[in-house]
Amino acid sequence: MSRSLSNLALKETSIVQSFTNDEVGSKLMSMGMRPGTMVQLVRRAPFKGGCYVKAGNYYFALRRNEAACILVGE
Amino acid sequence: MIEDKAITRTVNVALLGNPNSGKTTLFNHLTGLRQKVGNFPGVTVEKKIGRFNLDQLEIQIIDFPGTYSAYPTSQDERIVIDMLCNPEDRNYPEAVVYVADTTNLEKHLLFFTQLRDLKLPMLLVLSMSDIAMQDGLEIDIPQLQKQLGVPIVAINGRKGNEVNLLKEQLQHLLLDKPHFSDKSFYQITNSEKKIIESIKAVIPTRSDYHALLLAHHGHWLPHLSDEQKERISTINKENEFVDLKQQIHETMQRYNRFEPIVQKVLRTSQDRSTTTEWLDRFFTHRFWGVAFFFLTMLLVFQAIYAWATYPMDWIESGFGWLGESLKNILPAAWWTDLLTEGVLAGLGGVIVFVPQIAILFFLISILEEVGYMARAVFLFDRLMQRFGLNGRSIVALVSGGACAIPAIMSTRTISNRKERLITILVTPLISCSARIPVYTVLIGFVVPPITVGGIFNAQGLAFMGLYLLSIVAALTAALVFKLILKSEGQSFLMLEMPAYKVPLFKDILLTVWEKVSAFLIEAGKVILLISVVLWFLASFGPTQKMAEAEATAIELAVSRGLDKTATDDLVAASQMEASYAGHIGKFIEPVIRPLGYDWKIGIALLTSFAAREVFVGTMATIYSIGSNDDEYSVHARMAKERDPLTGKPVYTLATSLSLLLFYVFAMQCMATLAVVKKETDSWKWAIIQFLYMTTLAYSSAFLAYQLLSI
Repeated sequence: MSRSLSNLALKETSIVQSFTNDEVGSKLMSMGMRPGTMVQLVRRAPFKGGCYVKAGNYYFALRRNEAACILVGE
Repeated sequence: MIEDKAITRTVNVALLGNPNSGKTTLFNHLTGLRQKVGNFPGVTVEKKIGRFNLDQLEIQIIDFPGTYSAYPTSQDERIVIDMLCNPEDRNYPEAVVYVADTTNLEKHLLFFTQLRDLKLPMLLVLSMSDIAMQDGLEIDIPQLQKQLGVPIVAINGRKGNEVNLLKEQLQHLLLDKPHFSDKSFYQITNSEKKIIESIKAVIPTRSDYHALLLAHHGHWLPHLSDEQKERISTINKENEFVDLKQQIHETMQRYNRFEPIVQKVLRTSQDRSTTTEWLDRFFTHRFWGVAFFFLTMLLVFQAIYAWATYPMDWIESGFGWLGESLKNILPAAWWTDLLTEGVLAGLGGVIVFVPQIAILFFLISILEEVGYMARAVFLFDRLMQRFGLNGRSIVALVSGGACAIPAIMSTRTISNRKERLITILVTPLISCSARIPVYTVLIGFVVPPITVGGIFNAQGLAFMGLYLLSIVAALTAALVFKLILKSEGQSFLMLEMPAYKVPLFKDILLTVWEKVSAFLIEAGKVILLISVVLWFLASFGPTQKMAEAEATAIELAVSRGLDKTATDDLVAASQMEASYAGHIGKFIEPVIRPLGYDWKIGIALLTSFAAREVFVGTMATIYSIGSNDDEYSVHARMAKERDPLTGKPVYTLATSLSLLLFYVFAMQCMATLAVVKKETDSWKWAIIQFLYMTTLAYSSAFLAYQLLSI
């Protein structure tokens, strides 16, 4: 069973497999995150906020529901 | 070196690239002060145009908003794509200079390969080559050039050493039109071919990819006619075109094709951007990050108040000296009065606030250039969502502290319409730099200049309090709009956090220069005009009434046994009351009496509906006509102002506080309303904004005055 980026443990690294939402997926791909990219959950924001994610060697801020659209696995 | 020879023609060149690619730094290196800011027709997205000369050619280069791909997700990117899809557009370039960050080459190449398929002559600039070197990145440029099929120049963004090499390459590209390979990074599928052929039959296109983009974007592209849109939609339906699937397929294929090339030409020795990650442990920390944000804001406002005092004093005494000297040199005539009391008083009232505005823009652009703003967006996204806003709204709210106009423009990056609209509606509540003059003048009547807690200036704290009040008002208004407005569409954060970088002083100074000169020129024009008109209105009136006023005043002075100066003052004051301005002021007085304002303040209120910074200039003009003293400080003049009936000071605590509150909330900026109209595409929202803010202003000023004067 594949997991989503939002339920990775802090500092855990994985690889993007696919996106469950095409709108989120297409936008992220144009920003450089795509299937095959190495991702790490670096930090969570306060106020139950978003995720600070490392993808390749750059960083993204994603909301939890956006991170939940990203399926990851080895 | 390229020298200016006979220029035969002007060539449009587009500067394109992803956000954070180092585009603007390159733009500044290329053009220096030969740049100006305009707007794209119909929208208020800022367009920076710069000029420089090559051999025989004058280059007009346009710095377009940063764009990730040919599939736009924000208003900003839409403008770029609309221009690229319309060869008739007056900004359509003859060549493209594409800027890509060497340290993140892969992700910057997607849009590049899409642009290549539009068949525009291109030059690829690899920026930040200095940082890449530091990181131990090695790049085989000749090999990359061969594989991508375009000339490449690597630029050290900080020093701009290779800018001349870039100019030579651009000249070669434009004049010699060398042929490069037509290699594409996307293989068009058979079903796409059919669509492309059908579109080409109805709309002239430059390339297959151009036609494909028309199929994607036909429904919103502003330059297409309704008939063309209709045709594209029919073609799409006939061919069962699913745009999102095609887009993903295309994007994947492009990455798959250029990624091996990048891996081949780029040698990296270590994992990079560790500094950024290390810094973000603090700046995005759930407690320290938030604390840092608020502390920074506090320091910014303290700085505006404390640092600016000295240059402001110099400017004020400079104008005082100038006015006195002119009065002594020039003959006593009405035009001398116009010059010293109208023009000089009005101008001085504006120029004196340049230091504060410059400091504010200076600090805010440092925060932006360093890359900090994206962190603030990340920290506050969730909180902003509760108020119906987006994390990106924090950028608008913070820069709204400088000026609502660029702040409202910055909302283009918010893709959700409701979130964007609410941000636009509440941003003008945030105290902007134009309120600084008003606050500065009035705070002195409300709070004494004492030191609190050893370090803080009480007036500085009050100043900060007004800003806080404006933030609370903005968030509350946002909450109300969140409940009233219907939501539509999905809302996204998905934001890139750029690596921290030491800002280039030159870039920041250029921004400050641009904003301050815009303030001086734009606001200055209005203020000068209003000052002159006001001087006439306040100096002249119906002849008979003016004469009557003079006679009555002299009579009164004689009966009271006043000396010469006091008599002159009384005459001037009575004449002003009889003037045209006096009539206008008296006319609106019943409406503003409950707020504690007399007719003179009424005139200032009226003129500041054009722009609020006019208030101080108006005050300066009114009070300098109304007296014969040598005082050039507006504050001092206002302090001397007495109610002619009771003899008590006009600027009591109640009146001053009521006036402060009015200026915190009121929508007094024509320019902002015009921008809101453009950005929301209707007068409706501009009018709603004007009404709700003015109502808020009137009722809070009313409450404050009535409660304090019991």
